[in-house]
Amino acid sequence: MNLAWKEMKRNKVRFLILGSIIFLISLLTFIISGLANGLSQDNASLINDLPEGHFYMSKDANQTYNLSQIEPDIQESLITKQSDTIALAIQMGFVHDPHNKQQSVAFVAATDSPIFDEVEAGEVILDSSMKEKGLKIGDIVTNTQLSGDLVVKGFVKHKKFSHAPVALINIEDYKEMYRVDKMQFIFIPGEQSSEKFNGYESFSKREFLQTIPSYNAEQMSLNMIVWFLVIISGMLFAIFFYMMNVQKIGLYGILKAIGLKTSKLFNMMWTQMMLITSSSLVCSIAASQLFNEIAPVEMPFRLTMSTTIQLSLVFFFIGFIGATLSGIQIKKIQPLQAIQQGEI
Amino acid sequence: MSLFSINQIRKTFTNGEVEEEILKGITLTLKEGEIIALVGASGSGKSTLLTIAAGLQSVTDGQIIFEGKNMSAMNQEEIRKIRASQFGFVFQFSHLVPFLTVEEQLQLMLDVSEYQLKKDEQKKEVNRMLELVGMNHRKNAYPSSLSGGEKQRVAIARALIHQPKVLFADEPTASLDSKRSKEVILLIRQLTKDLNITTLMVTHDKEMLAFADTIVKMSDGVIVHKKESIK
Ligand SMILES: Nc1ncnc2c1ncn2[C@@H]1O[C@H](COP(=O)(O)OP(=O)(O)O)[C@@H](O)[C@H]1O
Ligand SMILES: [Mg+2]
Repeated sequence: MNLAWKEMKRNKVRFLILGSIIFLISLLTFIISGLANGLSQDNASLINDLPEGHFYMSKDANQTYNLSQIEPDIQESLITKQSDTIALAIQMGFVHDPHNKQQSVAFVAATDSPIFDEVEAGEVILDSSMKEKGLKIGDIVTNTQLSGDLVVKGFVKHKKFSHAPVALINIEDYKEMYRVDKMQFIFIPGEQSSEKFNGYESFSKREFLQTIPSYNAEQMSLNMIVWFLVIISGMLFAIFFYMMNVQKIGLYGILKAIGLKTSKLFNMMWTQMMLITSSSLVCSIAASQLFNEIAPVEMPFRLTMSTTIQLSLVFFFIGFIGATLSGIQIKKIQPLQAIQQGEI
Repeated sequence: MSLFSINQIRKTFTNGEVEEEILKGITLTLKEGEIIALVGASGSGKSTLLTIAAGLQSVTDGQIIFEGKNMSAMNQEEIRKIRASQFGFVFQFSHLVPFLTVEEQLQLMLDVSEYQLKKDEQKKEVNRMLELVGMNHRKNAYPSSLSGGEKQRVAIARALIHQPKVLFADEPTASLDSKRSKEVILLIRQLTKDLNITTLMVTHDKEMLAFADTIVKMSDGVIVHKKESIK
């Protein structure tokens, strides 16, 4: 006989309350995690969306990408050795749009590679968020440090750096604007472990992201909120199941007295925990995915299915631990206690 | 033949520093089909004796022999199995499972006792038992909608559905008015006789006492009087 289900059916309100609390707290966790992810994308999707690989900056740059310089001969030899190696340079700056409004962008110049579209001198490829600002293909934008104009050649999705849309320009234009002749860092795609070059420091993608000012602080506080919520929900689980179990001491005692196995009582509790958690999670996943769809463009929100699944598994694990810890008392309940307690 | 024997059992409770011996060497034998009524003043140890015999708490000293096996030496799981399949319980309160219907209470007991029956036979058995206790018309009701007497009748049906060898009853009519008490007593009398179930029951009910094979009077943890009826 399915006692777990029968009890839930009979005590709908109690279980609905527990379910809706799990729903709310998991939804909150999903949303915050979506925001963390969204902000991370907004801050560094240019880097985030690169394939796995290693970054190299000059040692004397002290882990600051815009102080780093790559010697041209090193750059040449690396590109010759592995053809998909990219040398990059990034500077924050402004363009004036056709309405003469100043728009902040991150100027990026890169050597030829399949990862970045090719840009000729006098052309620019913008992050698609610039479309919202009214820019379209063929528009002409200017920069005070550049003698010529830049024609908008196209848009790319999800290319942001330091919360600014990326403006991909030709290396020659870049050199003229910033009066430099060297690239800042090298990116070598591939899973292999990093090689050592004299005078250069290597970074994994993760490590490189953390050298970006603000990225680390932002992500750390958001991740802390996410884990805080996860821990709070675990405690809520334990407390709720504990209170429910305390109320049910009489019932458990009777069931034990008539000869029900303790393991059956645990199964009953686990079944209820699984049913409540999975139905609440289904609701909160649906709600957060809906939010993902309808969130305004200005709100950086990105919740991937894999993050959702990972968090859901954590919730299940925590629910299980919480229910089990609070359920250990079931083992100790004496049938006699219930009989002496009077009617339940 | 003795089905159940209680040999020199003692029970001591410790309340903080104070040790109190509640049962002081009780010996009692139940023959198959026999009905024993326990009487005595409140606090004399009747409930303690009954729950110990039923395997619901342990003894401090002495033995409980059921069908030739020493229950006081068994582990929890072995005792649970005996409780589930060989014993039935009725207490002062019905202790029904609040979220199960009358019918489901009995089905649960059949499940727990691992009483081997096919689904439709199980239904029939449940119906038959509910018929016997006169509760068939309320088989889909939940305990909260039953009166005290009705609940107690369901509890009796639950205690007997799996055809236990021994029924333990502790003042099953104490929470009922005299009319309902009488009904419940008659029911227990009739069913235990019909099903030939050995019964150990704490009661002060006159009708039940007249019906019992043996009346055992307890006082202060010892048996002070034992009267076998000459039926
Ligand atoms: N778990 C227990 N702990 C301590 N004392 C108990 C416990 N159970 C019963 N007693 C004591 O044992 C005595 C006999 O109780 P009980 O068997 O319930 O008597 P009766 O059923 O004859 O009224 C009482 O004094 C009671 O306080
Ligand atoms: Mg008593």
